[in-house]
Amino acid sequence: MPQLIPFYFMNQLTYGFLLFVVLLVLFSTILLPMILKLYVSRLFITKL
Amino acid sequence: MSLAKSAANKLDWAKVISSLKITGTTAQQLSGFKKRNDEARRKLLELEQQPLTVDFEQYRSVLKNKEIVGKIETLFKEYKPVKIDTQSQLKTIESFEQHAIANAKETEVMIAKELSTLKETLNQIEKARPFDQLTVEELVKAKPEIDAKVVEMVKKGKWEVPGYDEKFGSLNAM
Repeated sequence: MPQLIPFYFMNQLTYGFLLFVVLLVLFSTILLPMILKLYVSRLFITKL
Repeated sequence: MSLAKSAANKLDWAKVISSLKITGTTAQQLSGFKKRNDEARRKLLELEQQPLTVDFEQYRSVLKNKEIVGKIETLFKEYKPVKIDTQSQLKTIESFEQHAIANAKETEVMIAKELSTLKETLNQIEKARPFDQLTVEELVKAKPEIDAKVVEMVKKGKWEVPGYDEKFGSLNAM
């Protein structure tokens, strides 16, 4: 059913974009600040 | 009196000040008091060593003018030491004592507070787990400023900790 092909790509794009947004939020709010916190803590305990 | 004297002799002032960790006005007053005490003791010793009697016969035999010696002797015998009213001084001492006691109490309270903090710290040290078992969460709980710093850095878009690479090396592949 070739008439469904645009829906396939639209679906891909939508979910791809959504995944990108979710990943961006997760990285910027949880993962990267966690790593930063680890680094700051390491540096802090060496300066004690 | 002699007991107080021997106790005062045995007292190691420097040790008192350093071991009690006395600071500020109390330490100043204590060292001032010590200085005055030493000075008074030195004066007393000097005065005690001076002779109390005068050998007028000796002067009479040496000097030609016997009359003046007789005059001086009568004057010497008539001399009576002036009695000083020590009430005002005692009052001053009393007020000083009260002040000192108040200060000492203040110091005591301060020391007690310090002692309790030290005990708390000691307790924490005893309870503390080994250094390598420490987690970031515990550290942040103990020092909330780490979290604040991280939030601030994230807000400013700073993702690199200055001085980290120099200390721990960089894991960047590129």
